[in-house]
Amino acid sequence: MMLTLALRNLWRNRRRTLLTLSAMVVSVSLLILALGVFSGMIQDMLASATEQYRGHLVVSRSGYQDDHNLFATFHLSAELRQQIASDPQIVGLSPRLRAFGLLAHGLNTRPAELLGMAPSQERQVTRLQQLLVSGSYPAEGKSGALVGRGLASRLGVVPGDELVFVTQAADGSIGNDLLQVSGIFATGNSRQDNQLVLVSLPWLQELMVLPGQVHELALALHDPLLAGQAAARLDPLLPQGLDALAWGELLPEMQEAIASYDVTRLIMASILYFATGLGILNTLFMSVMERSREFGILMALGMSPWRIRGLVLLETLLMSVLALAVGLALGLAMTFYMARVGIDLSGTLSPITYAGGTILPRLHAVFVPANLVTPALLLLLVTLLAGWLPANRAAGLQPVTALRED
Amino acid sequence: MPLIELAKIGKIYPVGNQQVTALADLNLRFEQGEFTVLAGPSGSGKTTVLNLIGGLDQPTSGSVVIAGRSTGKSSPAELAEFRLNHIGFVFQSYNLIPVLSAAENVEFPLMLQRLPKTERRRRISTLFQQLSIAGLENRKPNDLSGGQQQRVAVARAIATRPTVVLADEPTANLDSQTAADLLTLMRQLNATENTTFIFSSHDPQVINCARRVITLKDGRLQSDMQQTP
Repeated sequence: MMLTLALRNLWRNRRRTLLTLSAMVVSVSLLILALGVFSGMIQDMLASATEQYRGHLVVSRSGYQDDHNLFATFHLSAELRQQIASDPQIVGLSPRLRAFGLLAHGLNTRPAELLGMAPSQERQVTRLQQLLVSGSYPAEGKSGALVGRGLASRLGVVPGDELVFVTQAADGSIGNDLLQVSGIFATGNSRQDNQLVLVSLPWLQELMVLPGQVHELALALHDPLLAGQAAARLDPLLPQGLDALAWGELLPEMQEAIASYDVTRLIMASILYFATGLGILNTLFMSVMERSREFGILMALGMSPWRIRGLVLLETLLMSVLALAVGLALGLAMTFYMARVGIDLSGTLSPITYAGGTILPRLHAVFVPANLVTPALLLLLVTLLAGWLPANRAAGLQPVTALRED
Repeated sequence: MPLIELAKIGKIYPVGNQQVTALADLNLRFEQGEFTVLAGPSGSGKTTVLNLIGGLDQPTSGSVVIAGRSTGKSSPAELAEFRLNHIGFVFQSYNLIPVLSAAENVEFPLMLQRLPKTERRRRISTLFQQLSIAGLENRKPNDLSGGQQQRVAVARAIATRPTVVLADEPTANLDSQTAADLLTLMRQLNATENTTFIFSSHDPQVINCARRVITLKDGRLQSDMQQTP
């Protein structure tokens, strides 16, 4: 009967209850949507930093990622490769060799970073093949080049054009050769679009006079956020002189950006729920004040202060459960829409490179369980906290005073 | 030992900056099965006495002992428990819970007593028959007449089988025929169940049907008389 009483008490002032419920529903659903979009943005940034170029985890000589020393190479044995691939988190491996030099086409010359890779393996780690704006991804074993859009524009090349690459080889000689542009990509990251060229690994090894050598082994993981743990597992398996570095170590600013996201999320939720909590507090106080006489009657009937407190908190809990059910459904529906369709802002905004990643000009959401659980638990907590003061007031009423209230 | 004993009771209410004496040095005793009226003009202290006996209020001085238990030494939770099991209230303005039906209003204190559902339903059915309100179980208080609401309030007061029923001006809002019916009903309950009834009233109809009439004036005992109704 306490449940019946609580439900009917809520329903007796429908307009006020519905208004409060609306505020709670809007808060929880908007927070779910906002967190979903935030997560989408972070995922985009992390993917742009890791899945367009670096990989989630990189095995290289100690210090190589700081100075890109030409001679810091290693031989990737089949045994080592097998050992690394056996980690359950790892879903892709791509051996790479890197070279810096000049690219020329006609009278145009530009500095460039050439990344030698095996196309079929690179596809497991990066997704540049999805970012082609013209031409095609280099075929296995061919000496085609995949050029960033900014660089291609500055050199004035299109797929099918020839490029000359000049660099210093490992033996001190001048290495130079012709490349044919097979495709052009655009990541939105200005550094990659203006400098990066993907070429065949054997071709670059031959040009650099580094046969069978690589600078790094880029790895893709099931869950990029577990890269730190995966690196810690791999480190003991690696020969001396080789390190496994997670993306957080390669891109500390990205790590900080994600950490700041957690703080932003907390601040946003606090502001939104503080306002909601005040609304609930106001409603419940009004409701308790209006029913002082009824609480007096209940006390006269023998209802204890704890049960009175429990009745008000039950009303609060019922409101929050109802608001949660509707709010979660609405939040999920909006997140689903934003995940499937999203909002394209490319007409008004350009991609922004930040913390080593790229914020794409679009709003799109992703489903993350924590983005549902956190707003739900917070709303429950805020509602019960907001209900505690009015519940205490009701429980603390003097029966004889309460019975005199109109 | 009397069922209820009020010893040297004083009650002072603060009103603004002033202190108003509602009761002064009042001594009263009530036995089991009494049918008593507290009479007197408005402001004489009748309701205050009922509130003190019912544990709704605490005296400023003196003690209230009911069935050997002093209410002054009890916590709010203990007083609630005491009211639940020993006191039944009937108020002048009925004081039914508006969101509950007639039957639910009667059932509510039984639920607080944790009685099984079958027992609760049995008592409600018996009382509604006894009080001639059978068929009104599912009506909300707003859909009942004043007399019907007061009968539901009486049913609620006696459903828990209290030691004493305290009725504060129970006929004040009723027409004379309905009031007479209600008083007859209470007399019957007093006779058959040996329930103690203490009324506050200045209604001659109520005063005439009591066996004991205590008259208060300005918070003091003016007279305490036995009579034949």
